[in-house]
Amino acid sequence: MNDREDFTLIGRTVLRREDSYLLRGLGQFLDDLPEPNGLIHIAFVPSPYARASILSIDASAALALPGVIAVLTGKDFEGDVKTFAPEIVIDGYREVRRPVVAVDRVNFVGESVAVVLAESPYVAQDALELVEVEYDPLPAVAGIEQSLAADAPVIHEKLGDNLLFKTRFETDGFEQHFAAADLVLEEEFRTGRVTGVMIEPRGCMACPDPVADNFTLWTTTQIPHIVRTAIADHLGMAESALRVAAPAVGGGFGTKAHVYPDELIVVALARRYRRAVKWVQDRREDLLTNIHAREHVLGIQVAVNRDGIIGAVRLDVRTNAGAYPNHPYSCTLEATAAVRMMPGPYKIRNYKYDVCSVATNTAPTGAYRGTGQPSAFLAIEGMMDRIGRKLGIDPAEVRRRNVVRPEEFPYVNVVGVRYDTGSYLPSLERGLEMIGYDAFRKAQPKDRMVDGKYRGIGICNYTEVSGTGAPGWRVRGFAKMPGFDSSRLVIEPDGRITVYVSQADAGQGHYTTFAQIAADRLGARWEDVNVIEGDTSKTPYGTGTFASRGSVVGGGTIIRCSEKVAVKVRRIASYMLDIDPERLVLTKGRVCDKDDPVKGLSLRDVAETAYSMNNLGLPQGEEHGLEATDYYDPPMVTMANGTHVAQVAVDPEDGRVEIERYAVVHDCGRVINPMIVAGQVHGATAQGIGEALMEEIVYDAEGQHLNANLLEYLLPTAMDVPDIDLAHIETPSIDTVAGIKGAAEGGVTGALPALANAVADALSGLGVNITRVPLRPSFILEQIRKARGQVPG
Amino acid sequence: MTAGKVTVRLTVNGKAYSREVEPRYLLADFLRHELHLTGTHIGCEHGVCGACTVLIDGKTARSCLQFAVALDGAEVTTVEGIAGDGPLHPIQEAFHEAHALQCGYCTPGFLLTTVEFLRRNPTPTRAEIREALTNNMCRCTGYLNIIEAVENAARRLSGAGEVATERTR
Repeated sequence: MNDREDFTLIGRTVLRREDSYLLRGLGQFLDDLPEPNGLIHIAFVPSPYARASILSIDASAALALPGVIAVLTGKDFEGDVKTFAPEIVIDGYREVRRPVVAVDRVNFVGESVAVVLAESPYVAQDALELVEVEYDPLPAVAGIEQSLAADAPVIHEKLGDNLLFKTRFETDGFEQHFAAADLVLEEEFRTGRVTGVMIEPRGCMACPDPVADNFTLWTTTQIPHIVRTAIADHLGMAESALRVAAPAVGGGFGTKAHVYPDELIVVALARRYRRAVKWVQDRREDLLTNIHAREHVLGIQVAVNRDGIIGAVRLDVRTNAGAYPNHPYSCTLEATAAVRMMPGPYKIRNYKYDVCSVATNTAPTGAYRGTGQPSAFLAIEGMMDRIGRKLGIDPAEVRRRNVVRPEEFPYVNVVGVRYDTGSYLPSLERGLEMIGYDAFRKAQPKDRMVDGKYRGIGICNYTEVSGTGAPGWRVRGFAKMPGFDSSRLVIEPDGRITVYVSQADAGQGHYTTFAQIAADRLGARWEDVNVIEGDTSKTPYGTGTFASRGSVVGGGTIIRCSEKVAVKVRRIASYMLDIDPERLVLTKGRVCDKDDPVKGLSLRDVAETAYSMNNLGLPQGEEHGLEATDYYDPPMVTMANGTHVAQVAVDPEDGRVEIERYAVVHDCGRVINPMIVAGQVHGATAQGIGEALMEEIVYDAEGQHLNANLLEYLLPTAMDVPDIDLAHIETPSIDTVAGIKGAAEGGVTGALPALANAVADALSGLGVNITRVPLRPSFILEQIRKARGQVPG
Repeated sequence: MTAGKVTVRLTVNGKAYSREVEPRYLLADFLRHELHLTGTHIGCEHGVCGACTVLIDGKTARSCLQFAVALDGAEVTTVEGIAGDGPLHPIQEAFHEAHALQCGYCTPGFLLTTVEFLRRNPTPTRAEIREALTNNMCRCTGYLNIIEAVENAARRLSGAGEVATERTR
């Protein structure tokens, strides 16, 4: 069954079916859905303070405005919405619960202190300004160091300090191994605070079901099933009474893979008022209140021998959790991701880490494309270059000497993660060749080029965690993360196919690729496969679309489900044709004898028998219908990999970094649709470029958010993303169904360190040491001036 | 609610409309909520992202920064008007073939920017295309396939025929 012939649609570029309506402006995004009669529009009154006591809330002027229905405060929700917290079971974790609307105290700028209900969105906005809130501002902390200081204000007083999570790990005999190496290199790296900035902000609309006591929540989510479970739990509802559906979703990137207080609030209000309730976020609210990410401080010490081979690594990671844990990953996600993924493609056998996550008066942080990995690879890949510079070994050669080699797979890394297959060394060599690495190194003068710009090359070899199953979530303390995804596949009476998947697309092209997969396995035309997902009332339960899991887990379950249905197709066809089922194959929309294809039936013929639409009847003991359901829990993780190599020119006059050449080698195992994979690589790389060179949310020391708009939070434009020379290596997984690995995040993970290293390489002759991102022009100029001894002032 | 609605008359995608709205009503809201042309998307409401781009009397404009009342009598083209009920416009086809959209939320704005740009500059260089596209932000595609789509659309519209391009895959 698994011979190459069965993969005729898997691996082929098929143009996307979703384009036809999106290109005409007919996509139904959240704010495009028809609005029910009697719809209530809500808006949130944001806190202007990072930390303050709420002394009073006077809504009388707002309530006097025609069209205002009510103004509710945190206390008004205490009866019917539980305070909000995910379930995390891991040593060193301290639970903090979040009220859906602040009660007595606000803990970050933008936190909701009241909800306005109005007959129109314009009136709701007018009313916001009329709600008078009296605050008593309190000292706030914004940064990690501030939060950990002995005299820091304690944000969640019952904890006694601001430490929300702390854990450590050490291999046997670590200190001896660390001491045994020839020398120790040490550095502290920092990543900026960033966020997803989907072009569609978030929003949600809850609608009561006029017939039963049920509700539908339309929401811009990547995880409808998890949202449903969380809402039912926190509102005391039956899960069966709540349908959570994602319309077309305008980008997710992890930001939309969380459960947010507003989703609980609209359902609670729809239940209370028996009216539909809608909220649509604006861009300012996106940047103030949606989940932020990164902001890691990574202290790393590498004990290395004179040959460049790493003997031991000590890592100390601190992450900024923000004011509250996010749901469902809490404050442990970025922390555990960074330390567990740091070893990456390298053979690091002696490892010790300490990691913590601290509370601050800033927006909660959580998942964003790459989670933990871009920061971790900034540190380890930064050290690869430092080892090279210190020991006089080419940085590419340092990597060659430490990388897991092809013959060493399957390889279990130092924290117990299995790398089943990979192409780490071939990927590195290919990337170097594509960028012309050796020629560049020979030609590059130590100092600067003729045009006055400094040039450098940066390399990042990355591994990319994908398709995480239940064991991968449990080991990191996520007690209620399902890990599996599921599908129900039906061959309809007309022989066409419907597949219901527990995933939720936000632009990944599932409606095309999942159809390709099912069609491939059932020998059908992909045009005859309809894909339905993103709706808890239509699909079986599952985890959703984030963390590079769609193709591995969603694709995997569809393959398994297709094969279950194919067994029944062959059984019924065998009865109809009087041919042994083992001899029957599904191909080109038919079931036929593998040696004599003329002897066969169409899928429709078989379906008609299955649905009792002819006089043939079913074989003894066979049930009607032609469908199956499958739940696929993949291994702990599946490790994709790749290499980014960037050549940059840094202009010492204005501090600008220009990316002159960019090569990506990408290995995500079995490719389903090469065009879509390339699109994922492009998009993720662009986000990595943004994070490396321009994006950063800035809080001042008092916790005031300084750039909640797109003029000051800079996204890459078409001028900032260089042409990318992209090569694929296909090393199928041996642990997942059909060898598929994930593809969505490696671009970010590869770009960030590659660019930081390229800038560092360019400026190394000046004695500039690059240890943080983003590398904005002003920062680079400052570094160059410092290195030249021209510190202003 | 707010007193003093005003009459706004607009021709949108060739069809004349007249609606009573508040003077502060934005063009984007007028198109989306009064005319139910929801293809014009709102991304930032401060004129940066370009998702709400439409053509007003043939020129690109941010519909989130325009009051509908100020445009009384204008001709507006939205994404729904590019192909109407007919087959996809060559620019839309080029976007489809080059995989120049993922989530599709920013796409209407890019299409209208491209319509105006190729009308003004039918044979652009790649650098000119990049510059024109800074009008709009996309967070999914990394822009490269959009640039390729605009190149292909330019060739197709100028009658030069499409040059086979080697896509990075």
